[in-house]
Amino acid sequence: MTLLSVRDLTVTFGPVIAASGVSFDLAQGEALGIVGESGSGKSVTCRALLRLLPASARVTGSVAFDGQEVTALREDALDALRGRRIGMIFQSPASHLDPLMRIGDQVGQTLRRHRGLSGKALAEEVVRLLDQVRIPDPRRWADAWPHELSGGMKQRAMIAGALACEPDVLIADEPTTALDATVQKGVLDLLNSLRADRGLAMIFVSHDLGAVARVCDRLLVMRNGEVVEEGTVNRIVTAPVHDYTRRLLASHPDRLPPRPPRALPAGAPEVLAATGLSVRFGRRSLSDWLSGRTGGFVALDGADLTLRKGEVLGIVGESGSGKSTLARALVGLNRAQAGTIRHLGQPVQPAGRNRVTYLRQVQMIYQHPYEALSPRLTVEQSIAEPLRRHRLVSSGRIGARVTELMAEVDLSPDLGTRLPWELSGGQCQRVAIARALALEPAVLIADEVTSALDVTLQAQVLDLLSRLQAERGLSMIFISHDLGVIRRLCDRVMVMRAGQIVETGQVAQVFDTPRQGYTRELIAAIPHLPGAEAPA
Amino acid sequence: MPLLRLILARLVQALPVLLGVSLVTFVLMAASPGDPVRLLVGDRATPEIIAVIRERYGLDEPILTRYLVYLKNLLQGDMGASLRYRVPVTELIASHYPVTLFLVLYTIVLSLPPVVALAVVSARNQGGLADQAIRLLGVLGLAVPVFWLALLLSRFFGVTLKWFPVSGFGDTPLEHLHHLFLPALSTAIWVVPILVRNLRAALLDEMGRDYVTTGLSKGLGRRAVFRAHVFPNSLLPTVNLFGIIVAYLLGGSVIVESVYAVPGMGKLMVESILARDYYVVQGATLVFALTTILVMLATDLIAARLDPRVSA
Repeated sequence: MTLLSVRDLTVTFGPVIAASGVSFDLAQGEALGIVGESGSGKSVTCRALLRLLPASARVTGSVAFDGQEVTALREDALDALRGRRIGMIFQSPASHLDPLMRIGDQVGQTLRRHRGLSGKALAEEVVRLLDQVRIPDPRRWADAWPHELSGGMKQRAMIAGALACEPDVLIADEPTTALDATVQKGVLDLLNSLRADRGLAMIFVSHDLGAVARVCDRLLVMRNGEVVEEGTVNRIVTAPVHDYTRRLLASHPDRLPPRPPRALPAGAPEVLAATGLSVRFGRRSLSDWLSGRTGGFVALDGADLTLRKGEVLGIVGESGSGKSTLARALVGLNRAQAGTIRHLGQPVQPAGRNRVTYLRQVQMIYQHPYEALSPRLTVEQSIAEPLRRHRLVSSGRIGARVTELMAEVDLSPDLGTRLPWELSGGQCQRVAIARALALEPAVLIADEVTSALDVTLQAQVLDLLSRLQAERGLSMIFISHDLGVIRRLCDRVMVMRAGQIVETGQVAQVFDTPRQGYTRELIAAIPHLPGAEAPA
Repeated sequence: MPLLRLILARLVQALPVLLGVSLVTFVLMAASPGDPVRLLVGDRATPEIIAVIRERYGLDEPILTRYLVYLKNLLQGDMGASLRYRVPVTELIASHYPVTLFLVLYTIVLSLPPVVALAVVSARNQGGLADQAIRLLGVLGLAVPVFWLALLLSRFFGVTLKWFPVSGFGDTPLEHLHHLFLPALSTAIWVVPILVRNLRAALLDEMGRDYVTTGLSKGLGRRAVFRAHVFPNSLLPTVNLFGIIVAYLLGGSVIVESVYAVPGMGKLMVESILARDYYVVQGATLVFALTTILVMLATDLIAARLDPRVSA
């Protein structure tokens, strides 16, 4: 039976068409996935279903839910529908929970509103719901504030709140994008089991085909506000019709060309080595000192690392595992409390007096391309800055060198006078890469450089990094939470957890015969495309 | 007990602040032209009499000695005596301080209800007629000088209509309320627009937050979301500004107290400065500084109470 029927849904913000002519049906108990990249209109479509868009949005078309036309409902009738018959969860649980209200109260809001529960009955029901979404010790966490919960727990709490009144449909807007892979797997499993237990219909929006495939039967692929392809998940993954779908699939880490295993030349020197590197945040208080505790928060605990010339080393771990801290310690952005760093056998101090020579050799690229570029500098100025600052070329040659560098990272020359906000995320990341390359470094440290990018852009940037590495014989440290990406790009991998390195080895060996339980857990959590387990 | 530790730590931090304040006022008063003794005895006193009085008050000592003696007395709870009134400074402060405190509290009580009402109406009809009107009135309230407004109000309601007394403080709490209504109102007229602006901006900010969308998606309705989520979150930035304003009101009571002849700290301060009554100025300044520190501490405690993320 069709529960929700959307016809010709079009959303415009002034002259901008955010979604255009979107039509689909959702049957009872069915899970429909909507996949697309940023700006494809998938979130806008979801919000339009519950009329959650700002007043500046103009919505036309029809949304029929169980015989009612949602677009024509009065505000009070709409509120009777929201949360009671249709629940919704969102991308970043942290910002979608009120920081000043206890978790239990936020979960209980729908119960109070729609079922009139209060007092003890309400509290009992909230605890039952939190237990149902597998929050351990629910009584305790019901009394907690949002900031005290981990990301995964916040998302679970949000799911509990959305499902409290047993709605018929759950709209999930990128519910796992902000979460670590293992946490994402937990949330996806939870959604699956809730669906099976309750016959819940679901609209699951994501940019990640792998995640969608874990939950959904049917799929819409959206691009630039339009649905370009529709069908069962299996059909679309195995036999995509539309060009864009093919490109999307080809960009998935599962489908990227694997890195051929290769041996480094026997005498390849160690370009970078660290031993016993430790970083602590926060100060050691007097009581810590007296009781012999380290004090503060230990973000990195005695990490050892070696990188040989021409090698690509992957560092993988979940948020808070210390992988970025390690990278930042290598370039002196975090001061190491203990440990030594050697560059070509010589001890160096990345934050010390003679750091300039060392840092010219070791350059870093950052996760958020927009934040890593000065908003006031044009592309050309950004790339020229290190050339000028270090007097790498004569001032007359700077323009020519910038053009060369832009060509090397596949930036079209006419972008030179643009400012960062006029560029796409992928283009910004290319500028950042060109800026790092301007110093002709021997080592490139890439810290989650593709995490903020859409999959197709991610594939392009990975491709670029791979090519540059091969052409220039760069040594590279590539940090990512995404094992799928690491597998495509790296020779060797280090797995980090809670500030420590738990496993290290050649990529093939770590993936095929992981020694640590934690590594196995990480590998199991990779959202693969269905039918096509990653070829080794 | 982290809360107790916070309070203790803040009070310890207050000591150097008070020491600094006392030193600065002491030096400034000593360096400012004019002689309290001459003002006290008049033009016809002989140099001998002046010398005797100087010695009696210890004014012939070097300034450093005078400061150290002052500090020593201060530690024993003795703030010195007024040259003009011949009574201990503590006594003067004890009689003037409650008046100012009453005036400030009265101003707060008069301000808060309109602040909340106007800010909420303004934010909920952003860009609408009510919003425009409120913002215009706010600019007016800020632009009108307090002393001028105070004079007008006192003339019209006090002299012409005779609804309110134009000076003094009264004897019973009811009389206090009656006497201080115009002074409190004149102050509130510039306090309200500042806080309305701040709260309105905070409300608009919070109304665009993600958790508002969550609330709406749960079918709570706009009103309930506003009450339960938007408003509490908007209070935080306003509480901080409010603390600063309260501290300022205590020190800034000079103008209204002078216009309405209210026997409070502001008036005492001005008169003492004009009469070069050193120890009264010293004492009053210290009391102002201490009050400011306490108000700021209270603000931080309230903010910590409102926001669970601030660990006290």
